Amino acid sequence: MKASTARAGIDKRFSGNWENPILRWNGWRVLPIYIFLAVFVIVPIIKIALDAFTDTQGILTFKYVKSFFTDPFYLRALRNSMLLGLAVVVTTSILGFCSAYFLLRYEFAGKKLFSYLTIFPIIMPPLVGVMGFIFILGRAGTVNTILMDYFGFLRPLNFVYGWHGVLLVETLHLFPLITMNLLDSMGKIDASLEEAAESVGSVGLRKIKDITFPLSTPGYVTGALLVFMWAFADFATPLVVGVQDLLAAQAYLNIVQFVDRRLFQMGIVIGVFMISLSIIFLIIARRYLALKDYATLSYSPVEKKTLKGWGGFLVPFFFTVLLIMAFIPYLGVTLAAFGKAWAMTPFPVQYTLGYFTRIITETPKYIINTFMYCGLAVIICITVGVPIAWILTRTKMKSRGLLDALVTLILALPGTALGIAYIRAFNMPIFGISLTTLWIIMPLVLAVRRLPYTVRSTHSSLLVVHESLEEAARSVGASGWRVFYNITLPLIWKGILTGALFSFMTSIQESAATILLAIPGWETMTVGIFTFYTSGSMNESAALGFILIVVGGLSLYVINKLSGKKMGGFFG
Amino acid sequence: MSRKIIGLVFCFLLVVSSLMTVFAAQPAIENELVLITPVSKFIVDAALEKFKGYAQERWGVSVKVSASHDGTPTCYGKIVEWNGRPQADIFWGGESALFDELAKKNLLEKLQLSEELMSLIPAEIGEPKPLPIKDPNGYWVGSTLEPYGLIYNPKLLKRLGVDEIKTWDDLLNPKLKGWVAQCTPDRSSSSHASYEVILQLLGWEKAWEWTEKLAANTANFSARSRDVPSTVAKGEAAVGFAVPSYMAFEEVLAGYEVKYVAPDYCFITCEPIAVIAGAKNSRTAQAFIEFLQMEEGQRVFMERGLFPITPRYRVFGAPGSTAERAVEFTGGVRSFFDKPTKNIYDSELAQERYSEVNETFRKRIVERHNELKKK
Repeated sequence: MKASTARAGIDKRFSGNWENPILRWNGWRVLPIYIFLAVFVIVPIIKIALDAFTDTQGILTFKYVKSFFTDPFYLRALRNSMLLGLAVVVTTSILGFCSAYFLLRYEFAGKKLFSYLTIFPIIMPPLVGVMGFIFILGRAGTVNTILMDYFGFLRPLNFVYGWHGVLLVETLHLFPLITMNLLDSMGKIDASLEEAAESVGSVGLRKIKDITFPLSTPGYVTGALLVFMWAFADFATPLVVGVQDLLAAQAYLNIVQFVDRRLFQMGIVIGVFMISLSIIFLIIARRYLALKDYATLSYSPVEKKTLKGWGGFLVPFFFTVLLIMAFIPYLGVTLAAFGKAWAMTPFPVQYTLGYFTRIITETPKYIINTFMYCGLAVIICITVGVPIAWILTRTKMKSRGLLDALVTLILALPGTALGIAYIRAFNMPIFGISLTTLWIIMPLVLAVRRLPYTVRSTHSSLLVVHESLEEAARSVGASGWRVFYNITLPLIWKGILTGALFSFMTSIQESAATILLAIPGWETMTVGIFTFYTSGSMNESAALGFILIVVGGLSLYVINKLSGKKMGGFFG
Repeated sequence: MSRKIIGLVFCFLLVVSSLMTVFAAQPAIENELVLITPVSKFIVDAALEKFKGYAQERWGVSVKVSASHDGTPTCYGKIVEWNGRPQADIFWGGESALFDELAKKNLLEKLQLSEELMSLIPAEIGEPKPLPIKDPNGYWVGSTLEPYGLIYNPKLLKRLGVDEIKTWDDLLNPKLKGWVAQCTPDRSSSSHASYEVILQLLGWEKAWEWTEKLAANTANFSARSRDVPSTVAKGEAAVGFAVPSYMAFEEVLAGYEVKYVAPDYCFITCEPIAVIAGAKNSRTAQAFIEFLQMEEGQRVFMERGLFPITPRYRVFGAPGSTAERAVEFTGGVRSFFDKPTKNIYDSELAQERYSEVNETFRKRIVERHNELKKK
């Protein structure tokens, strides 16, 4: 009896205009999700765009945009930023492609360890990385002190100050983005394709050019896009190594100084420019990907070759050198976090726990705030992100394309620009209170920034769960929620958890947006790193950085355990 | 009889209630205090900690204190942006001209310091051009005296074959090529003040030539002025403009080897302090400012490489104490009132051409830095 009424109910649902029964109730239940995205993503972007085109009286004007595009200094900064972004894409691509190719196609000594450690550089908190490089490679760093003290060098070698320094730091920080994305897409290339190529004489490098490159483009393009935007939007690294004529550095400097209104307005224009750029890139990338979607559901992976002779030596050597370089900042930060008054000696002479005592006992708020805000942000990520993933996989709602685009856009949006947009959009009081004066804005901005990771992870887990399982449950009368709770959730919780952890791990590293929004009492650890650094206490910065690295490393370990080899999917 | 009792009870109630109103009206302080300040954490945290103890003892109130650290221009900009609905109670530190600007905009609350404390502070210091150290209109008051001088790393200078630094011109020594740390004036009001001193000492054109020579010795411009002392302490740079409380002395306490010199005519700040108009915790803010003027408050500065705002105190301590180490660090100075202080800094002139100096610096120095380095 019961079953039959349920059956009738489903039939009735099928008879509507919708192609899928779940659609109907989704339509209005997911409204809050759309409102959330509208308020916290679209409104700030529109507001900051309006700001760039209106003067203080609110009248439409092009004068700010015009003065941006006629100022040779900003034009040079724009050109430099583009060049830097491209250069970092080139260098990370070379390193990323080599490491992904070696990891996927060959067996060699230490492979498991290398594969785990290759992802590590990406968890380096902002500012801390470049500081670490300076401790080791700076004018008074370990390497130069050794060269001067023991090898008779009269002047230190300049490893980090200047353009080459920015390129070095960004490359060693960002290449894992390319590696992860390539591991994901290259890993899905069917062995038969390569075999076919070989049979018609395409071997060695030619095979890579003919088959491997073209087939890994979807993953590569996303990785390259993210690397470009990341390098384009990073202001901390260039400022520390003394490079100022970059757009992100100018945006940050112009916004944090509140005196000169013209400069402030310029900061807004730069913010809008960055947002437009990420939107344009995204459109290009999506066009490109839509044309060349080679995704196959079932594939047999290419067999791995065991390396012998020179190859067996050179590949581990490549990874060893790469990882030693990439771990330089970790060494520098650790030494600085424990070394007492370390100056002009290769390594600290005395060690102390004093910096940790200071940050834990005197200013525990940095640590407390970080965990509170990031914890809340993860809850928001799950509440908003899981339904989004559900809509994307289980419904055929018309707005799916928009939703998907929005989520990817968030991934590409520079934090600096989003921070500026939030300041402008939420400064207006509603019911007498403006959101920028409430601490909840911190977890909110973190959640928005890191939402894509939760969505993507849940999304890929949902794709694996076949709909027929859910249909079966519905056919015996389970309601929408019950289906989700009894069938779907047990099958996808790992994916949600991994995504949530990834959101957590990346939000404790977030600084660009939070630094612009934090007011006294709300400082997180990354803001603390900046505060200590700019007030000259590099060692306390390093100590905070050390804690962040440890937490990041632990999260990465758990994620790795939970998700196996699917890390690439997060950034794609 | 009963009427008598009723009368007594009535009288008793009257006394009690009037006492209660008296107590209620007693200006007990709020239990929170938020600062916005360019003054270093080193000084601010110590001052706030001491004040907490004082508030606990005097009013039995445990005050929750916090401070947001920004450069002076940023602090000023934020207070203007807040426009009477501030997210902080006190603005502390920087140049008095900005405080005058804020007072003009009605963004500061009048101070309620006792006449006695106020009269201890001289109106001005320095000659030939006297520098005000309290506001005649009572909106701000100086908290301590602090010169904007030079910090250097003696060990590194020795290695480079350079003598100890004493004057501004010592920075132009060709042996220091690539070893001077500098911050641009638009990013740091303290650096701005030092460039302005050079401009007023040498005159516009000559001063810019001097600054070009300095840029030739500079490897790169640091992000913030407070990076300068830490890079000098670390040995990444040998010498640079610095303010003692902005880390310089803290580096000494942390075990680094650095020395400090205040060349003639260097800029001196009184680190003005004021209550922001519309402050949520205005009574606590007033109490904090008063506390800094008392001996206990002044001691916070004296033990950290700064100088008292009034001739009543001089920096002294037991041998080996931080106060004595501070005296050694700053080359034996115990008070700025011991001998005449040289000053030519005209803050009106500086304020008038503030943007012009920044703009010229950007055009003549920063944009041509690579070219200047080759000279």
